[in-house]
Amino acid sequence: MPLSSQSRTVASSADLPLPASIVATSQLTKCYGDFEALKQCTLDVSEGEIFGLLGPNGAGKTTLIRLLLGYLHVTSGSCRVAGFDPEEDSVAVRARVAYLPGDARLPRHMRGRGVLEFFSQMHPQGNLSRALEVAERLELDLSRRVAFMSTGMRQKLALAVVFGPRTPLLILDEPTANLDPTVRGEVLKLVLAEREAGRTVMFSSHVLSEIEQTCDRVAFLRKGELARKLVMEDLFQRHRLTAWLPDTGAPTNDTDDLRNEVPEELSSRIERYQVGPSGPHGRNVCIDTAGDLAPTLGWIASLNLEHVRIEPLGLHSVYESVHLGRGDQDPDWAHAPGSMPATPGVSS
Amino acid sequence: MIHWREIGIDRMMVRKNIGQSSLLFVFLAIALFAFGWVRVWVVKLLDMGQFQTIIEQFRDYEKFAPVSFDALFTYTGRVGMTFDEPMVILCTVIWCVARGSDVVSGELGRGTMEMLLSQPISRARFLLSHALVSSVGLLLLCLLLWAGMTVGIETTTLTETVPPPSMRVPFLGFELPLTNDEPVEISFPMRERVDTETYTASVFHLFAFGFFLLGISTCFSSFDRYRWRTIGAVMTVYVIQLVMFGLGKAAESLAWLQSLSFFNCYRPQKMTGLVRDGDLWSPWSLSTPITEGMYPPLYYPGLLLFFGVVLYIIAIVRFQQRDLPAPL
Repeated sequence: MPLSSQSRTVASSADLPLPASIVATSQLTKCYGDFEALKQCTLDVSEGEIFGLLGPNGAGKTTLIRLLLGYLHVTSGSCRVAGFDPEEDSVAVRARVAYLPGDARLPRHMRGRGVLEFFSQMHPQGNLSRALEVAERLELDLSRRVAFMSTGMRQKLALAVVFGPRTPLLILDEPTANLDPTVRGEVLKLVLAEREAGRTVMFSSHVLSEIEQTCDRVAFLRKGELARKLVMEDLFQRHRLTAWLPDTGAPTNDTDDLRNEVPEELSSRIERYQVGPSGPHGRNVCIDTAGDLAPTLGWIASLNLEHVRIEPLGLHSVYESVHLGRGDQDPDWAHAPGSMPATPGVSS
Repeated sequence: MIHWREIGIDRMMVRKNIGQSSLLFVFLAIALFAFGWVRVWVVKLLDMGQFQTIIEQFRDYEKFAPVSFDALFTYTGRVGMTFDEPMVILCTVIWCVARGSDVVSGELGRGTMEMLLSQPISRARFLLSHALVSSVGLLLLCLLLWAGMTVGIETTTLTETVPPPSMRVPFLGFELPLTNDEPVEISFPMRERVDTETYTASVFHLFAFGFFLLGISTCFSSFDRYRWRTIGAVMTVYVIQLVMFGLGKAAESLAWLQSLSFFNCYRPQKMTGLVRDGDLWSPWSLSTPITEGMYPPLYYPGLLLFFGVVLYIIAIVRFQQRDLPAPL
């Protein structure tokens, strides 16, 4: 519980009241015999946001999605999607959700247009003209049979199927897999447009840049556990400053933690202030900031640093920290204002 | 209460299943129609007298035949044998196993289950829409066989050789011609001797047999995720049941095996015999036993239909309870 003991003063998006949840899970667990594919996962997705699911292969992302849709039966815990429990009424859930599977396969005997017609009539919220519009936007040839389509074309067709119905929730499991960069960009625009239209999107991907571009909040899964939740807006406010501090004394091999030298009024904004061993240009300085950068700039300027470089701390570093299993122990991320522990009821 | 939109979903599922099975249906329909026709036409090629002589030589093996040899010495009986022809059984088995095995394990294997079940349709309705198309397809195939036989009966002309009048000499045992006339050949349409309606109950038996196979294939499919394994399992059961039926017929001591085989319920020629010896309604009785020690005729297809329905119910329950794996 790294954050439970941390009292943060920086206002983060995590502290703001969230709209009603369209997806809510509580202690959700799925076991296959002795193997726990998902362990006590508690999360909620608010209406109108784009929620990212991140994690390495086998982390439990798809298991979570399949539990939400009623493909899998819950071992313990509970979940509600659009107000319905998929265990009790998965049909009602699926009437309110458009789902793109990770490996979307469509009836091979149908032609592209036939597939769109078929699915638009299958779904109560189906909209053929919208699906055709998406297909055209993705430059898809609808006259071909599915059997003769390439993997990318089939993915585009599946996307047109899924973006057709006007459901309140859209669940996309790796929607840009097998697509070229141009189409990827188009898909991300579609996802953003869905949010603008008031729909909620759950988005699973391995491409961190896509998550960064689109998501409002992200959950990291690792080995079936919800390892971390993150508000993207707060992540974008995190920066790392690296610079050289000209040597003023004797050379040293020590790394000094100088956080106690940070002015009191900035202490909540400075995550790390380390000065490394002596090098050819002096001592290496690394400062991690959280929140608005502007108030810290004056203090940074007073440090007389050289070769200053400031860069945003991307999702990649969080992902690596979670992926390598240092999520809860990593001091960097344990202190992140936008990051929340996976344990319910504990927030930063 | 069923909403209009849900009917639309069912309609689309039915359309999709028809589309998927149409090519197989067309091939089997052609095969069964043509075979029914040709099989009836072939009856005329064998002179009844010669046929009787040939069959009499196999009297010792009569117990293996699905019907008594005496029934084969009539045109109605010989045409009725069509329902026991391997070709007819094979086509029926192909349709039922191919369609039944496709329901769950087929869709899972192809990976299409994921997208289909992402639509708001319950698993029971998903399976039942498949069952509807498969059952109606089976019924149409049975009717097409019947139609082929009807065309054969209506278009075939039979020729019989009528020997001159003769008398059997007592004690000496030979035929003494009463005139010197040559044997006379007479021709007549087959429909004068064979009534198409005789085979109504046989067609129903074939449907019941197929429905049971559909049920068992669907049931196995709902437990599995590989279609090839489902087909293998169904065929294993089929062969075991066939061997049990054969052994039950071959050895008196193993006769009890017959009653454990579903082939024991498939009796189209018995139905033909009942119509021939009684009337058109004889095979539809639920009270009068076929013969002593047997059940009423409707009992047998009724059992096949009952177990077919039971297997479908097991399939639905299993399908609803199981986790659906992600596509491989």
